[in-house]
Amino acid sequence: MMTKVREVLLLLLLPAFVPHTDGTRYSLPGKPTEIKCRSPEKETFTCWWKPGSDGGLPTTYALYYRKEGSNVVHECPDYHTAGKNSCFFNKNDTVIWVSYNITVVATNALGKTYSDPVDIDVVYIVKPHPPEKLEVTVMKDQGWPFLRVSWEPPRKADTRSGWITLIYELRVKLEEEESEWENHIAGQQKMFNIFSLRSGGTYLIQVRCKPDHGFWSEWSSTSYVKVPEYLHREKSVWILILVFSAFILLILIWLIHMNSHSLKHCMLPPVPGPKIKGFDKQLLKSGKSDEVFSALVVSDFPPTTSNYEDLLVEYLEVYVPEQQELMVDEGKDHDGCLKSIGSASDSDSGRGSCDSDNLLMDKSGAAKEEQQQQNQEGDQIGTETQGPKEAWEKETMLCANEDVVSPSTSSKKVKTWPSVFSPVTPYSPSPLDPHNSLEMHKQNFLSDTQFPPGSPSSDHCIKKALQSSYWEVCFNNNQPYPQTDVHQQLQAHSDRNISAINDGNAPRNLLLPTRMTEYVEVQRVNEENKVLLHPIPSGHTREEACSWVGHGDNYSKVKGVNSDNVLLLQREVVEEESMEMAGAAESCYTSSIAINTPKPTTCSHIALPVQEERVLAVSGYVDTATMFSLDT
Amino acid sequence: MPAMDSVVVLLSVVCLGVSSQQITDSQRLFSIAVNRVTHLHLLAQRLFSDFESSLQTEEQRQLNKIFLQDFCNSDYIISPIDKHETQRSSVLKLLSISYRLVESWEFPSRSLSGGSSLRNQISPRLSELKTGILLLIRANQDEAENYPDSDALQHAPYGNYYQSLGGNESLRQTYELLACFKKDMHKVETYLTVAKCRLSPEANCTL
Repeated sequence: MMTKVREVLLLLLLPAFVPHTDGTRYSLPGKPTEIKCRSPEKETFTCWWKPGSDGGLPTTYALYYRKEGSNVVHECPDYHTAGKNSCFFNKNDTVIWVSYNITVVATNALGKTYSDPVDIDVVYIVKPHPPEKLEVTVMKDQGWPFLRVSWEPPRKADTRSGWITLIYELRVKLEEEESEWENHIAGQQKMFNIFSLRSGGTYLIQVRCKPDHGFWSEWSSTSYVKVPEYLHREKSVWILILVFSAFILLILIWLIHMNSHSLKHCMLPPVPGPKIKGFDKQLLKSGKSDEVFSALVVSDFPPTTSNYEDLLVEYLEVYVPEQQELMVDEGKDHDGCLKSIGSASDSDSGRGSCDSDNLLMDKSGAAKEEQQQQNQEGDQIGTETQGPKEAWEKETMLCANEDVVSPSTSSKKVKTWPSVFSPVTPYSPSPLDPHNSLEMHKQNFLSDTQFPPGSPSSDHCIKKALQSSYWEVCFNNNQPYPQTDVHQQLQAHSDRNISAINDGNAPRNLLLPTRMTEYVEVQRVNEENKVLLHPIPSGHTREEACSWVGHGDNYSKVKGVNSDNVLLLQREVVEEESMEMAGAAESCYTSSIAINTPKPTTCSHIALPVQEERVLAVSGYVDTATMFSLDT
Repeated sequence: MPAMDSVVVLLSVVCLGVSSQQITDSQRLFSIAVNRVTHLHLLAQRLFSDFESSLQTEEQRQLNKIFLQDFCNSDYIISPIDKHETQRSSVLKLLSISYRLVESWEFPSRSLSGGSSLRNQISPRLSELKTGILLLIRANQDEAENYPDSDALQHAPYGNYYQSLGGNESLRQTYELLACFKKDMHKVETYLTVAKCRLSPEANCTL
């Protein structure tokens, strides 16, 4: 019993030991797998297989095939031409449109192993060789390079007889790290052009082919080509455009820079600041109103200084031919004739007559009368109440006298004494205080007005609104100007009595006040130390329109100077009346002339205080030069 | 006699002119025929691949095995099966074989119709192709010697070859039908292409 058990145990254990001593194990060969057949030209084909494990024993492989419709089994004719584990079928053994059933058998000492059968039809397993003789050349098309790629079909593929039809494909790549292949189908042609090349780049080109029903071949060997440098035409055009536009831009900038000032004026017109003398912006900003206003009270306003020269901003000189005479534009409400004062050398007084309407002869010696006159004048003018500016705009009429102007005179300027004749000041026209009748206006009036030669014909009146001057410059060429003096006289209105500001030292013709239509001239000083004034003879035919001092009251006699150094002129009433003088109660104006010898005058004129170098406008035209000479 | 020689020369020139014209025409006809048969072949390929993809693996293997043992109905038509034989055949022979192949499919192609629009195109296109090949035969028959092959125009009993199989075999039948159709179309395409290239005046006809 026990021995039997032991024998069984030994028997069981024996096989366990036996293998250990052997070490290796033989088995059947593994099954060949992955049978692949390919034909390069549809005339022959080759099959490859992948062998399995050999099972430890030398294994041989055999391929057997059977054609469609036949049960005859054939063995592979050629195991060597195509390499290891392959079978090559030559032309004689290859038929197309016939299915092959192929089986590979692995044989070793222990046995055989059959692979899975594979059915193939040669027509559908064609995989040609890659194309040959790949050539790439750089060609030029109107200056632009392009690549011409050409190749040949694989040697064995019979495309000439049409047995096999191949289509080609090529791919291009720049010789750079991150560039990609660019594929192009070339169809059945053996040539291809590549455009849009990068200047100076190196390209890699490959080509492959495929039969109409089959597999793609492998890529051919790479061909390298270098593109020559060339300038891209589009780039050059763009560069040109860029340079041109930059140039234009620079020019524009320069132009703008040059005209920046005027452009600034055009687009951002400067805000006019206050042009008030004594107006201090800073003070205003500081907010101290008292100081601002006190600053406005300029020391020399009302003008107290004798520096009258400064106030005479400009002259208005008009030169007229001898026959011409300055006339007031009659029949019109507006006018005032601005008597122009000739140059200092001209001793002739201004002539002309003014409308009696506008003339207000202040015969009273009271300042009030003057004021009344002024008011009357203002009323008479009518429009003055509206505002000096507008009044003047309506009334002023500028009649250019071409004949007057045309004579060639050195200066055709019409100069005025703006301050004298300024009827309007920025300040509202307030009743004139006798003292203020000597207001010095610092207005800037119409300065040198140049009358163009060939100005309109006679009777042509140019209405001119002289805002700042508020004058009425009236020229009437109908009036012959008797005087040889070429000075043309302007007569202007002023709603105030304008005090003739004169620099005592400079011999100037005094300006008559606005309403002054009478022009007197100092004839002489008689033995009684009286200044004889005589009217300026004016040969104008409109005498009747104007009232002359000479016709009317004759103020040619200086009565004397009163205690206040006021020159009193004696009025000698003359019978002749001037109709236009109706209502114009013109009084003779006293002019306070700084004369050394006071002369008593009996005149109902207004006695105005005389101040140093302060001259009042007189109704007559007093030539201070002559007067001063009397002092001696 | 010199007059006879001149007449012969004149006639040969005229014939050459006429034949060149014919050649040009036949080239054009060949091009058309090749295009059409290529298109038919592609159709057949597509149909077959669609059918195969719809099959299951097991069925596929079974069908493969069975197919090898069956024949196509056009197997009776002797046709060159390698390049050597094809090169050896005359143009007319190739044309006649092509004609027979196309004709053999005229009737069975009706069973292919139905379903997709692709299938419906097969039958009319086959008819057109047959007409074209006939024209080509007539165009090339004049100068050729008398065609001895009487079996070229022989009509085989196509009939119900494909209808004889039972309903169970429908899958297999369809597989066979499509496979054979594909193969025959490729044959015709190859023959016509070779014939065209042979008649083409250029050396390399695959340009």
